[in-house]
Amino acid sequence: MKKRNASLIKPYALILPALALAVVFAYRPFILTLLNSLHTVSLQGQRLTFVGLENYQRLFASQSFQASLSNTLRFTLYFVPTNLIICLGAALLSNRKGKLAALNQVFFFLPMAVGLSSSMMILKMMFNPSIGIINQLFGTDIQWFNDKHAAMALLVMAGVYLDIGLNFLLLHAALRNVPSELHEVAKIEGANGFQIFRYLQAPLIAPTFIFVLMTNIKDAMLISSPVLILTEGGPFRSTQTLVYQMYLEGFKSGNYAMGSAIATVVFLLTLSALLLLLHMERRRVYYQ
Amino acid sequence: MKKLTALVATLLSLIVVFPIFYSISASFFTYADFTSIPARLLPSVPNLENYQRAFSESNLEQFLANSLVTASLGTVLRMAVSILAAYTFSFFTFKGRDALFVLIVATMLLPSDALLLANYSTIRSLRLTDTYLGIISTTLLAPTHIFMLRQYFKTVSSEYREAAVIEGCGDLRFLTTLLIPISKAVVITLSIHSFSTIFNDYLWPLLVTNKESMRTVQVGLTMLGFSENLDYGPQFAAITLLITPILIAFVAMHKPIQSSVSTRFAGR
Repeated sequence: MKKRNASLIKPYALILPALALAVVFAYRPFILTLLNSLHTVSLQGQRLTFVGLENYQRLFASQSFQASLSNTLRFTLYFVPTNLIICLGAALLSNRKGKLAALNQVFFFLPMAVGLSSSMMILKMMFNPSIGIINQLFGTDIQWFNDKHAAMALLVMAGVYLDIGLNFLLLHAALRNVPSELHEVAKIEGANGFQIFRYLQAPLIAPTFIFVLMTNIKDAMLISSPVLILTEGGPFRSTQTLVYQMYLEGFKSGNYAMGSAIATVVFLLTLSALLLLLHMERRRVYYQ
Repeated sequence: MKKLTALVATLLSLIVVFPIFYSISASFFTYADFTSIPARLLPSVPNLENYQRAFSESNLEQFLANSLVTASLGTVLRMAVSILAAYTFSFFTFKGRDALFVLIVATMLLPSDALLLANYSTIRSLRLTDTYLGIISTTLLAPTHIFMLRQYFKTVSSEYREAAVIEGCGDLRFLTTLLIPISKAVVITLSIHSFSTIFNDYLWPLLVTNKESMRTVQVGLTMLGFSENLDYGPQFAAITLLITPILIAFVAMHKPIQSSVSTRFAGR
């Protein structure tokens, strides 16, 4: 009897670490975030009084938040198409045989080996307006960190640089899985490059493409670390994003309630993107 | 047409690789090389001064050690948690199994970036700020790993386990002598993935460490103080030191990396 009890408990004991982590570092903080966003919260993180949706009202009325929301959405709008075109272009152009093509491929995914903070520091120094190589090389005088359009453009380039390695690998792998016999047949039938892409490659890489698209949208909505390292939200909040403002409210101003309200908005935004992603994944798009 | 494709691809790939090339080259620049006109792409005289200064004027070794410790410890614990959970979900039948599995995997829907504030207060109230455990705490649960391992374990016949249990083999022995060895490929892939994710993490380690001696290299790298003074040489040297081993590994393993991605897609 005792042994039977032990074997009944065993599976629960074995999943306990995972379960405990899920509760402590996912569900509990999620609920705390929702609760905090409905209360006033002390500097020590203690919930004081229930204020309903007041934090959200104040949030949506504040210029800082309006800037963050609009910057995050604009960044997503600029970044996602730019990144997809460049990554798909790189995958299509290097989908050849030969040593040079192999070298192109390695170069395209090499940025993956450089971690986020290293690559952002490299870009920060390369784009320095006075002694950075970029302005020197092109003989330009672009104020990358003091001009709001240039700063946003820089952030988009930084985003592409962070994602190109993995996205290239995924799209390139999908292209390589297009059966070469089909390719040959299409060529013999007289299909041109565009027709091969439109009627043969595009449908077959669509699941991978959709996966990359959805993760790009999610990543874009959550962007914060590149902002922190490159522009610190400037100039004049022109690159301040939602998660970056959340970080500022929570850690610089000690305003947990506002930070939590922003976090909730971020949840809602990303949840819609992620649910769509899971839906696609169930339709046999697959990646770890 | 073919030549044009090759030309455009090569140009684009050179642009992509340029920051890496420039970082390595600039790590040998003298102070004057950065301001010389026309702009320099290669050092005037190769010198190692930047490397000496990167070490002598910062705690780079300490940062690197912290990163190696947290990434290794985090990977081992994360894999242990994931393997135990995946093993249980694929070989045991128990009440509430499917619901609990969904509960764990559904944490994927809660992006950790949006949980930063609440997780930070948890870590603070547990007094785990400025500790290795605090740095790795939020990375230990990997729902995608549990999901993938379970997919893989499910292809292993449960007869193996039944036979092993009849022979008097415990769970731990079954895992270490049979299940993990036959799942070697996926376990190694996920471990490498874990290591690089934890090693490259930036925002969370930045938040939970205040003491300089506890900083990871990704955080420390942005606070060396050189680049603020436009003293770029030592900064590039520090970055080059950090990325070179990883670059070499990537170039050496470019074939397995490319094919592992394609089989993962083709396999389904």
